[in-house]
Amino acid sequence: MDNKTPSRNGKIQFDVIVVGAGLAGSAAAAVAARSGLKVALIERGQVPGGKNFFGGALYTHSLEEIYPDFWERKPPLERPVTEAGFWILSKNGLVNMTIRGGHLDRQPIDSYVALRAKFDQWWAEQAAKTGAFIIPKTTVVDFIREPGGKVIGVITDRPQGEVYAPVTIVCEGVNNLLTQKLGLAKHDLKPKAVALGVKQLISLPADTINARFGLPDKSHGLAITVIGDVTMGLTGLGFIYTGEESLSVGLGVTLDVLAKERVRPYELLQRYLRHPLIAPLVAGGRLMEYGAHLIPEGGWRHMPRLYTDGVMVAGDAATMVNALHWEGTNMAIIAGKEAAQTAIEAHQRHDFSAASLSAYRERLKQRFILQDLYQYRNLSHFLEKHPHFMDVYPNFLNDAMGLFFTGYGKPKRELYADILRSLTQRRSLLQAAGDMLAFGRTVIGI
Amino acid sequence: MDEKKEKRDDLPEVYVDDLLIAIKYFTDEHEAHLQLIDPHVCVACEKPCVFFCPVGAYQAQEDGHIIIAFQSCIECGSCRLMCPYSNVNWKYPRGGFGVAYKFG
Repeated sequence: MDNKTPSRNGKIQFDVIVVGAGLAGSAAAAVAARSGLKVALIERGQVPGGKNFFGGALYTHSLEEIYPDFWERKPPLERPVTEAGFWILSKNGLVNMTIRGGHLDRQPIDSYVALRAKFDQWWAEQAAKTGAFIIPKTTVVDFIREPGGKVIGVITDRPQGEVYAPVTIVCEGVNNLLTQKLGLAKHDLKPKAVALGVKQLISLPADTINARFGLPDKSHGLAITVIGDVTMGLTGLGFIYTGEESLSVGLGVTLDVLAKERVRPYELLQRYLRHPLIAPLVAGGRLMEYGAHLIPEGGWRHMPRLYTDGVMVAGDAATMVNALHWEGTNMAIIAGKEAAQTAIEAHQRHDFSAASLSAYRERLKQRFILQDLYQYRNLSHFLEKHPHFMDVYPNFLNDAMGLFFTGYGKPKRELYADILRSLTQRRSLLQAAGDMLAFGRTVIGI
Repeated sequence: MDEKKEKRDDLPEVYVDDLLIAIKYFTDEHEAHLQLIDPHVCVACEKPCVFFCPVGAYQAQEDGHIIIAFQSCIECGSCRLMCPYSNVNWKYPRGGFGVAYKFG
């Protein structure tokens, strides 16, 4: 630690420690620092963002909650999402179900494609400008506790690397080693509660991307969820996001399924990239980056306790992911903010006990975060039990649409019989009706 | 179903180094952050790690042992969660080391 670090009685002492400079961590650090608290933001990467990798899109409603003037701060966002939806793949077909215009054209646009290594670095810089003290290249390995167990600081992998604060916000990410050390999570996340996401970032000129995806210019972009043949029927989803001059193309498959089927994720991704309707979109592109990350899709049912004496947990470490709506980044940011607000109030009360910090959970209950996570609590279990959503229905949709639009001079009564048969060959009408009902119940959350 | 079997066969073979070349690392030359707890446990294992590891860091040897190319690790944690015998001593690399995504 250098000599600019605040210290008291020879100890490095802050008001708040935040572990991990990702979306949740840098949001928490900024909010706490803005109130005048001394904040240490500890990051294990060379620079913030270096460990972070995602699909995906960020939501401006969450950025705005932390920085109402975020546009003036020039965030490194890629294209706005002006077209979003589903592509449903069969082995050689694609049913396209996307929306453009309408709600997606409403200003200000909420969703922007982003690249996390670039974005998170900027995000942490904003926290530093607000007054947070960033300590990079430093891994937190354990906590300092009072005899009663209350956390009063962290131990890092630096020599004499103890840092003290009456309250710590753990935003360590999906590998929740510290959350487990605190006993807030009782064990590792189960492999069926996480998806392994892999992605290729592919460089293409902006004009090529515009032409291939039917976008007028680079102020228009797509966020597509791809279902069906993309995962070979394994429980998971694919995605395509358009950057300014890049495509993020990847997929996520439940980790235990991937292991059981003995599929190499990068080969599954390559197969997806070679799909006859995907290959022309990425043709001629240069690989800019490859990477992988776990996604804690289990959500509610795998959530750790969110606080204890002197500590709160936010973001992926707290499984704040909504797998159906591709949300998570916004939950992380807002949870980071709510944790910081709770820390600020705890300082005003001089009470950092679990009872005092329980206000954090109450705050999340008032927001969409715990409400949505609760509503979708059965989703990952549902998909585990209903793999037909990954192959039977995507293939049926492709056949049904394909038959509908290729009459071959057949009487329409026969055509409809063919369409029906393309379902009932795969799943009986009764089973299909049951699947749809079960899906509806899962989404509504009853 | 047979359909699945047939699909499995159309998985293309990928030389993972062609992907790794696009990843930036600060390799810790002094400390391996991934280690097998008991290397002999791997011999009788079905070794799913050889497949699911997204960077192919787990390589099976002819004698049934596993070698970990920790330098390729991107710290995703899959092996930590999925090793059937919890035989991986999984730590983060020391601060500053390991994968350093440029774009993310």
